[in-house]
Amino acid sequence: MTPETRPLRLSGTDAYVHGPDANFLMIGERTNVAGSPRFRKLIKEGKLEEAIEVARQQVSNGANVIDICFDEGLIDGVAMMTRFLQLLQGEPDVARVPFMIDSSKWEILEAGLKCLQGKGIVNSISLKEGEERFREQARTIRRYGAAVVVMAFDEQGQAATYSDKVRICKRAYRILIDEVHFPPEDIIFDPNILTVATGIPEHDNYAVDFIEATRWIKESLPHARVSGGVSNISFSFRGNNVVREAMHSAFLYHATRAGMDMGIVNAGMLEVYDEIPSDLLEGVEDVILNRRSDATDRLLELAEQFRGQKGKEQEVDLRWREQPVEKRLEHALLKGITEFIETDTEEARLKHGRPLKVIEGPLMDGMSIVGDLFGAGKMFLPQVVKSARVMKKAVAWLTPFMEEEKAANPGQRSAGKVVMATVKGDVHDIGKNIVGVVLSCNGFEVTDLGVMVPCEKILATAREVGADIIGLSGLITPSLDEMMHVASEMERENFTLPLLIGGATTSAAHTAIKIAPGYSGSVVHVLDASRSVPVTTSLLSENQRDEFIAANEARHEKHRLSFSGGDRRKTIPLAEARSNRFEGGWDNYTPPVPEFTGTRTIERQSIRELVSYIDWSPFFHAWELRGVWDPETRQLRSRNPDQAREAARLYSEAWDLIEQIIAGKRFTARGIFGFFPANSDGDDIIAWTSDDRSEERVRMHTLRQQLDKSSGKPHYALADFLSDDRSVPDYLGGFVVGIHGADEWAQELEEKEHDPYRAIMVKALADRCAEAFAELLHHRARVAWGIENPNQFSNEELIKENYQGIRPAPGYPAQPDHTEKPLLFELLGASEATGVTLTESQAMHPGAAVCGLYFSHPGSRYFAINSLQQDQVEDYARRKGITLAACEKWLGPWLGYQP
Amino acid sequence: MRPDSTVHLQDLLTSRIAILDGAMGTTIREYGLDEQGARGQRFADAPKDLLNNGDILSLTQPDTIGDIHKRFLEAGSDIIETNTFSATTLSQAEFFVEDPREQGGRKDPDFFQKILENEFLCTLVEDLNLESSRLAREQADRLTEETGIRRYVAGAIGPLTISLSNAPDHDDPSFRPVTFDQVHDSYLHQARALVEGGCDLLLVETIFDSLNAKAALVAIQKLFEETGVSLPLVISAAVGSGGATLISAQRIEAFWIAVQHVHPLAVGLNCCEGPDVLRPFIAELADSANCFTSCYPNAGLPNPLAPTGFDLEPDDMAAYMAEFAQAGMLNIAGGCCGNTPEHIAAISEALKPHAPRTLPA
Repeated sequence: MTPETRPLRLSGTDAYVHGPDANFLMIGERTNVAGSPRFRKLIKEGKLEEAIEVARQQVSNGANVIDICFDEGLIDGVAMMTRFLQLLQGEPDVARVPFMIDSSKWEILEAGLKCLQGKGIVNSISLKEGEERFREQARTIRRYGAAVVVMAFDEQGQAATYSDKVRICKRAYRILIDEVHFPPEDIIFDPNILTVATGIPEHDNYAVDFIEATRWIKESLPHARVSGGVSNISFSFRGNNVVREAMHSAFLYHATRAGMDMGIVNAGMLEVYDEIPSDLLEGVEDVILNRRSDATDRLLELAEQFRGQKGKEQEVDLRWREQPVEKRLEHALLKGITEFIETDTEEARLKHGRPLKVIEGPLMDGMSIVGDLFGAGKMFLPQVVKSARVMKKAVAWLTPFMEEEKAANPGQRSAGKVVMATVKGDVHDIGKNIVGVVLSCNGFEVTDLGVMVPCEKILATAREVGADIIGLSGLITPSLDEMMHVASEMERENFTLPLLIGGATTSAAHTAIKIAPGYSGSVVHVLDASRSVPVTTSLLSENQRDEFIAANEARHEKHRLSFSGGDRRKTIPLAEARSNRFEGGWDNYTPPVPEFTGTRTIERQSIRELVSYIDWSPFFHAWELRGVWDPETRQLRSRNPDQAREAARLYSEAWDLIEQIIAGKRFTARGIFGFFPANSDGDDIIAWTSDDRSEERVRMHTLRQQLDKSSGKPHYALADFLSDDRSVPDYLGGFVVGIHGADEWAQELEEKEHDPYRAIMVKALADRCAEAFAELLHHRARVAWGIENPNQFSNEELIKENYQGIRPAPGYPAQPDHTEKPLLFELLGASEATGVTLTESQAMHPGAAVCGLYFSHPGSRYFAINSLQQDQVEDYARRKGITLAACEKWLGPWLGYQP
Repeated sequence: MRPDSTVHLQDLLTSRIAILDGAMGTTIREYGLDEQGARGQRFADAPKDLLNNGDILSLTQPDTIGDIHKRFLEAGSDIIETNTFSATTLSQAEFFVEDPREQGGRKDPDFFQKILENEFLCTLVEDLNLESSRLAREQADRLTEETGIRRYVAGAIGPLTISLSNAPDHDDPSFRPVTFDQVHDSYLHQARALVEGGCDLLLVETIFDSLNAKAALVAIQKLFEETGVSLPLVISAAVGSGGATLISAQRIEAFWIAVQHVHPLAVGLNCCEGPDVLRPFIAELADSANCFTSCYPNAGLPNPLAPTGFDLEPDDMAAYMAEFAQAGMLNIAGGCCGNTPEHIAAISEALKPHAPRTLPA
């Protein structure tokens, strides 16, 4: 009894273990220029992308190992072997299998070994040039850790007969085992499959010789394997695939029973043994097993009837091609298939109307899925880079169309410019390079400054190229300090571009807590390369930017809140903050005068008009559907197609409800806005009774930022946006809007119709209507103020807040004190005019209501108050005439000290 | 040349779990060196910043490096690593040679050929490996003497900043900035100096890219054949949460199959996103490898807010490693990034009651 054969263990990026009970190991032969005329043609014409497809097809057809051969007079074998294997390294579907490096030239075999990260097979070496050379080659292969195919060939030539095959294999085995210490399980013999049915009687027994030699090797040379090039057997029947396929199958059937372990086989060109027609099988087996002297003639005769018939079709699973174009794009991105990408992209372009829609829609969705899988460890870097390549092809297809659009519409921006660098002191750049690849694939113009880049150079380059975004990368811990330095320098030099932070040691928390506070522009942590595109696209997209930044800020705030202990942010005394207030440039600026002072009441605002001002994204967020609403396509651009579908359904239901609201007059929208002569007084705002500015009508109070700003930027308070000089005729505006009827109807739906779903929907719609009303009213106020023309902005632009002036509300970041609300209501007489009242906790009733102040100054902006110090809170309490304790209660979350 | 330590190491690993050291980089940070200190006299005029070139500290701050070795040994390390993670011409070039991209060029084999032939770098790399070996040797021998427990020096051979498996330029996916032979020669140069410096074993570690590692292994085998001196090898990969090498995406079993032919003393995993992430893959190796296993994970994920820059405290690491030991997966244990001498002391203490993994029959 021979001991159980040890498994042959091979690998690509995946392991392949061929155990004693394993099935026949199929070695794909279509990536062999000798085995495939098509492959040869592709290689000679330099069509390597298509050549790679041949490799992929073999693997998906079931090849366990693929044989790669460039032995052809006109091909530079060393260069092509290297190049092709390096290309395959970037093809995860293919690179997972072990490769068989096939050449008769040693230098090509060695070039191949230098490209294999896994354990492959060298095919082949032999005793042709003597023992010395054989040993040397075997030792080298050993060092690289590959298995080896040994041809039954010696100084005298190729072994054709059984006895020669046995003699040579035995000799080679002993040298390998005894002298080179080659592991026996890594030795594979190829005892030469030679062509039968040639008409030469000496050839008639070739198949039998092979089969019998195989049997002997398997019995006598422990652990060694037997392989062979199967298609040789049938060369006599070239052009007659039916016969050839039958011969391959029959030969393999008998050879494997004798112990043949593996073979170079066209996996798509094998008939199933049991399905060979019986007369054909008999003819074929007569030849292979050399059962009768006229076997060849009989088979030739039989073959005539099959001539010209097509053999088995190459099976490529193209079922995914039947799916809708969006799914096909997704599939191509996920699998990294470029073959159909241009056709599919074009189809999507025609379907979606605009090239950018294809990019921001199906292509970005696909990349987001790639990002998710990558993040979950289900896809790996090379796959992501491959996906990026597909993306690039698609974008390249779309680029001329976008340029056409741009030419027709010159104001439009195309892609953005990104300047990126590994920061000073750090040399790691593989990750950054991948980000660069992915971004440039997505049409961004990337300026990569390399590694160890000093801050000055990053900023100078950003200025020089007019960057839209700066990206910093670093892998080692000290890089974090350098990133903080860059952020603070950007602040100091008045940059406003978004700053992306990435690299192994960086984190969302560190970015939020340590980097973002140093820079007033957006600072976004990018988890990995695949996220770089969605982040960059969002930051540069007119539609998505604001919401993205807001969400990012919210995340930062969450991180900051959950970060307890450690160093608190530095603050400055109130007096110092005041001395660095925002300067309105009042000497050269005349505030606009509104067309009226006092208030105007809107008794019954058209709901239909309001609906056109609705910003839908928050509506979906309320339903925990994440994404950005595209008002043009009326689709939620979401990473999750289920969410997008759900959003579409929700949107249509919302519209049904809106129609009912309008028809049934379910909602009443009431609002008031007004303008008042006003000036600031320190950090207070005085609304005067009349333009002679002598009698205070209402005095409001504002809070000032106290966080230290090394940049010298102002420490804002809302009062700064009004002139403190009473001789300057400045004005303050204010408004309150409310949607009545929603709470009642929701209650009715809930209690009488037991329909909580629609009840929630009604409230959510009321909220959106209130926001829309506020937006609409602000627009009217700006027109009345003379700082905007009635049709200057589209509804979309209004939603995006592109205009001059702000409408901050008490209780929100710029003035977190809710107790200022009653003063605003008093000023406007809002409760009487709109029916909106305040509860004792200063909440508005009905809930769907919005209020705020209007400021018109062009420098007015939203900002956030936090980390208030005791000196200010004491001063504020004094100004408001309430106790410190009461004040601290209302301002609790914004205090920077323990009361 | 030192006597072959293979048999001693085999005895050690069979009798108990051997303790490796922790992170040189993390521990160096504790000393608060500045740029000037890192440069010392020798590199005072170097054109680029050197503070983060930890390897040169063996030359400019030998007392600090010696002290770190000493602290790890006192914490219980049986094996300490030389401070040579990036001591190859290819890696040191990043710190001393102008990046051709500055001048609109690119890094390509011509560029790296000049690096390999750069006299300054060649001398530097020899000095780094010899001096680092000497520093580790000195401390290991002293502690051996003092405690009577034999301590070993592992010559650390780290990854590179360039990859043989990945194309840096997606327009030309077959382009590689460097050739296999160049990576091979660079590693050969380092390994030769480490052997000469008196290391007891060689540690090819933090393998992101298996093809880079293969170049190192081919070089080491050639060196051994050429010199007749054959040191035990430890091979250690860095895998991500999916269980594949981070750059070349090779799954752990496939990796083991590809390096098994060098008959390492031990194979294992290091770095990674922390012990919890690495657990299933060390378990996989422990099941299949017919040699000893080693495991020295990062102290969790980088956390810039923690004092060491990483999540896990000494006790956390010790708890994880004790569980690994309990599960019978360890022959060599230590820590990678974020592990200080305090971590190693905790791990060493925690592993004392546990038997080492037994090799599969």
